[in-house]
Amino acid sequence: MSRRPLEGIRVLDFTWVVAGPVATRILADHGAQVIKIERGSPAPLGNRKLGLQCDLHRGKLSAAINMSDPRGLELARRLAEKSDLVIDNFSARVMRGWGMDYESLRALKPDIICISMSGLGHTGPRSSYVSYGPTLQALSGFTLLMAENDGTPAGYGYSYADMCGGYTGALAALAALWHRRRTGQGQFVDLSQFEAVTAVIGPALLDISVNAREQTSFGYDSQEAPAAPHGVYRCAPRRDGETVDDDRWIAISVHTQAEWDRFVVAIGSPEWTSDAKFRTLFLRMRNRDELDAHLSEWTRERSAEDAMELLQDARIAAGVVENGIDLCERDPQLRDRGFWPTVRNPNGASTHVTGIPFKISSGSGEVRATAPEVGADADYVFGELLGLSREERDRLAAAGAILT
Amino acid sequence: MNKAGSEKAGALAGLRVLDLSDHRAQLCARIFADLGADVIKIEPPGGDGARRLGPFAGDVPHPDRSLFHWFYNLNKRSLTLDLHNPDGAAVMRRLARSADIVIESFSPGTMATLGIGWDELHRDNPALILLSIAPFGQTGPYRDFKADDTVLTALAGMLYVNGFPGHAPVRPLGLQAYHSAAHYGAIAILCALFARDHSGEGAWIDLSMQEATACAVEHVAGSYFENQIAEPRRGTLHWSRFFRVGKCRDGFIMHCTLGDWTSLIEWVKADGKADDLIDPAYQQVMHRNVMAEHLFDVLDKWVADYPRDELLEHAQMLRQPYATVRPPEALFDDEQLSARGFFVEVEHPELGRKFRYPGAPFVMNGTPWRVYRRPPLVGEHTGAILRDEIGMSADEMSALAAEGVI
Repeated sequence: MSRRPLEGIRVLDFTWVVAGPVATRILADHGAQVIKIERGSPAPLGNRKLGLQCDLHRGKLSAAINMSDPRGLELARRLAEKSDLVIDNFSARVMRGWGMDYESLRALKPDIICISMSGLGHTGPRSSYVSYGPTLQALSGFTLLMAENDGTPAGYGYSYADMCGGYTGALAALAALWHRRRTGQGQFVDLSQFEAVTAVIGPALLDISVNAREQTSFGYDSQEAPAAPHGVYRCAPRRDGETVDDDRWIAISVHTQAEWDRFVVAIGSPEWTSDAKFRTLFLRMRNRDELDAHLSEWTRERSAEDAMELLQDARIAAGVVENGIDLCERDPQLRDRGFWPTVRNPNGASTHVTGIPFKISSGSGEVRATAPEVGADADYVFGELLGLSREERDRLAAAGAILT
Repeated sequence: MNKAGSEKAGALAGLRVLDLSDHRAQLCARIFADLGADVIKIEPPGGDGARRLGPFAGDVPHPDRSLFHWFYNLNKRSLTLDLHNPDGAAVMRRLARSADIVIESFSPGTMATLGIGWDELHRDNPALILLSIAPFGQTGPYRDFKADDTVLTALAGMLYVNGFPGHAPVRPLGLQAYHSAAHYGAIAILCALFARDHSGEGAWIDLSMQEATACAVEHVAGSYFENQIAEPRRGTLHWSRFFRVGKCRDGFIMHCTLGDWTSLIEWVKADGKADDLIDPAYQQVMHRNVMAEHLFDVLDKWVADYPRDELLEHAQMLRQPYATVRPPEALFDDEQLSARGFFVEVEHPELGRKFRYPGAPFVMNGTPWRVYRRPPLVGEHTGAILRDEIGMSADEMSALAAEGVI
């Protein structure tokens, strides 16, 4: 096994739910030793050997500490002293209450890095707001602008804010670690997940501040170069044995005139394509409802896969609107690149998790272990790392400071 | 943002980045520029394609007024260079000798064809890190396939789950496939920098936008690997079944049933709208989960007459994780963002004005995020960079300019 890039870095991880665990999973995949500190309550949010919870916690170590016991707190502080980075996703008062905030930990370890991924940040009048990914999406505009044509909100069914908070958190951690490596200086990073997700809205924010333009749902208006056709088009049902799936779609984007010309040939130059009202991009955008209706007739007669292949052969941007089964089982590209690595669980059963979206020629990240059960690594963490004897550990466990 | 500390160097100060990427990947190098790296945007003479994308300042189409360009290229310098001309490619190789990082998003194989592929760049500068961002990466059966952000969100499982069952899937706000790829690209480069510290060796990074986007979808892969199902579209009902959008008197609200149930239901009851939610069974989180549709229907009737903001204030006072469903315009008046200085002013002297830009995605107290310079005009720094960084003579520059290379 090659050396992974972050080997030698130790992360003490107090995060939970989704955003924080995504950040630390990225660090763990690349070789950092991530010690997840669990507190007995709340209980794990699901089966760690499968699905989302396995995805979030794979490759981490777990130790369970009673943080309301002073001896538990002392263990946590000693672990922080042996770590490069301490990360949490609480509001400001929690870590401070434990004496685990940056100022306190810096006194123990002057070059410590602390990252707090709270909902709305540690400062400001709303820093104590309780929030989750979906509520941050609502506050930032994502929810309102994911709308049907009549403006009815139509999403999100998931927490993009958490995934965005996660990759932003990993980035913040790496930037702070890099700075420390160059200068020897640690620091405190106050990451507001609200700000992280707001930052990725994109140029629409400047359209508001520069042009004072109110943003409405984009629908399938292109948010990059203008395009028509541009959107999703219903395809023929997919039949697998007895089951018929009539929720099949293809996304198609035709940006330039050259692409349109190739597109017309690819779909067999049906008569409507020579109609003057579709001659230029400007006209195609103006008459897009009619254009979309014609195109839908063409896609409806084909499987999404066939339509994609035919259009890609003509170098047109087109792709199956993949559902979970397409994505995890059928997509030939993701399979070819090994994007769903296998993890083996202690009972011998194996499952797949989400992979790492890049390969580094000098040594890639790698998913090397499944997710730990709560407290699974107590021996390593309290024994090997803190040097507590078996008797001391047993005593702390019996006293309820170490949770088993 | 900590204005007082803004004289401190950024976290990535001292790194030199050459950004050859097109409109799909420019956020990646901007992340480095915002954190203090010296980022040189290398664009074709006349300006790169991002500058032709709207919206435009004052709706006047011009390469220096594209808000698309502004958003993705803040804090960078600009050098124009025709990489398709061998003399231009040679200049690029000279620049890459003293760079730490090159970021490109050409079709796979293009860099090699231009004579600036990994083999050449690595031979010239073994410590160089080259990040190649492509829709499907550098290998595999889709390697040469075309995709824009819409098609990528489709092929990454992000699009299918947006919208109502039975209706067409709906696009998310912003180019989130590109944004995910840019962030993972920055993460990848930093990982490669750590590896380089250890070995002295640079690296070629092969990043797939499709994969990065799939990494930014929360629940689809997990549900499949756990239950072999395809997550459906659920409208505004979150897959966890603890959140749904409700309509109030003057807009929309995000309900959440993960707060303290007793205090929420006492409030609803006091308003005379609790209906059967007073049943003690709802104290159980799992019961609320199973009954989500009915529960939110009752709560929707409750909020129907409430003003949005009043509901939010009272909910948060009771520590209920509610939120208003706001338009993005509201961000510019948001007290929390203002108090934290999230939006920053960027002066555009050519337009005689300052404009508010979104600022730091995280506040680094020791190494502040900051505005170093407004987005560059086309080729604004060409002369200075060629003179100062590779010691090019004025004669050589004139010759290249006459040829149309710079």
